[in-house]
Formats: sequence, C-alpha cells, structure tokens
Amino acid sequence: MIEIQEENDRRGGDDPVEHLHRAEHDLEQALERSREAACDVVKAEAEVEKAIEEIEHPRQFKVKVLYNGVDKTFEVRPEETVKHLLDQAISAFGAANPHTLSLYKDGAELVDGQTLKEAGVKPEDQLLLRPSKVKGG
Amino acid sequence: MSAPYHLARGLLDDTFRHFRECGCGRDECQALWLSPWSQPNIITKVVHPKHAAHFGGFALDDVWLNDFWLELGATKTGIRVQVHTHPSEAFHSRTDDEFPIIHTPGFLSLVIPNFGLGPVGFDEAYLTEIQPEGHWKEVTIASRLVLT
Repeated sequence: MIEIQEENDRRGGDDPVEHLHRAEHDLEQALERSREAACDVVKAEAEVEKAIEEIEHPRQFKVKVLYNGVDKTFEVRPEETVKHLLDQAISAFGAANPHTLSLYKDGAELVDGQTLKEAGVKPEDQLLLRPSKVKGG
Repeated sequence: MSAPYHLARGLLDDTFRHFRECGCGRDECQALWLSPWSQPNIITKVVHPKHAAHFGGFALDDVWLNDFWLELGATKTGIRVQVHTHPSEAFHSRTDDEFPIIHTPGFLSLVIPNFGLGPVGFDEAYLTEIQPEGHWKEVTIASRLVLT
C-alpha cells in the first residue's frame, strides 16, 4: 500500500484523469492480491485442521501392551479389531493355550469384536494382556 | 529346560504361613513367587493375592489382579511360580489347568497338600509346567526348584 502511494505521489504532476486510471488499476491489482491471500488463508486453515485431525486420530499409531511385567510396543490402526491386536500380543509374548487372555484398558476388558477406535484406544495407551479369570480347585 | 529357580527358605516359610493363616485348614489358598526380569532365576518375593476361597477352590479378585499387573510392570518383575493348596492330595485339577495366572511355556504350578498344614517343604507336593504346545506336564521338584 505504501509503495502504491509513493508511486502515486511520484506521478503527482501527470494528467489527473490518467492518474485516476492508474490508481484504479493499482486498486484492482491490490484487490486481486487480497483475494489470493484470502484463498491461501483458507487453504492453510484447512491444512492445519487436517494436521490436528491426524494428531488426534492418526491412521497408524503405537500402543504398549504389558504382560507379566514386560512391555512390548505394537503399531496399530484405529480400524483394526481388538481381537487382531490380542492375537498379535499373545503371539509376541509366546503365550500358549491362551483362551482366558484378554486386553484391558483402565481396568476394563476390551471387547474382541470392537475396533480399537470404538474401544477408545489412543496413541501411547498402555494396555494389559492378562487373564480374565484366575482360579484353582 | 531352563535353569532351576532358587528359593530362600524364608520365602517358603512365608508361603506356608499365608496358607495357614488365610486357609485355616478349611479353604484353599494361593501364593505367587516373583523374581525380577534382570535376574529371573532368583525368587525374591512371595505375594498373597486377594482372593475368594472355599474348601475346594479359589478365585482371584479382578481389581486386585489389574493393580498387580501394573505393579509387575512398574517393578519389572515377573511371576515364575503359582503355588496353591489342596484339601488333601496334591495334583493339578482341570480348573488349575485352564485358569492359570501365566500362560507361557516354562511357567510352573506347585500344589501343596493338606491345606499346607504339614511340614514346611515339598513333601507330597505336585509340580507341573506349561509345555511349548500349551499343555501341562508334571516335572520333578528337584529339577525346577532349589531351596537356599
């Protein structure tokens, strides 16, 4: 804006009509740049929104599973089932005959058929792989 | 076969004390023998789980189990042997087979007869181990446990 004003001051001695036409042309160009800038702002805001969405709901993230005092890290996707992660964890820990083993979060047993997203599993969560029942007789 | 676990006599005394004080000669009872992952073959702690029990069985408390699982992670400690009493003869029942606390091959389950009211030791006790295929198999106590 300052540049345009300086240019107009420099042209102060020209014909007023020509001066007006140049000023209108400059104004049109400035308005065009303003529209482009506004468009860039909208695009940037959309990118920021997308980045926040990916942080809050990433397509792939890590969780820890704790079994008998040992933590192992697993890369998971929100749409995979609890059962899929359970099977992976059972295999990784080498558990044999594991029909009573389940995954737990915050003391609650996760439902095998739910997706991790439905089960509320989030990045960096620590899940417990433990028996749902321990008994003897 | 892995190296045997070393168990201090005092920890075995503590185990029998839990059985006698909790089971009182009328209910089954369980204890767990733990060791750090940095030195798994040296049993360092006996834990007496919160549980419900009767003459012919016991079941661990679920909330206690969840908290205990977190504690194992925080202390980098693992359960090596589950020990429980039977009213008379020591053996592994079907319930014992199907509902252990740990499911990995090499995990041991020791059964003490007569509610643990007999002499402190392994007389008439029964020891079994999870095999790589997942089933339990009796093993000799001397091959897996060394009293120190």
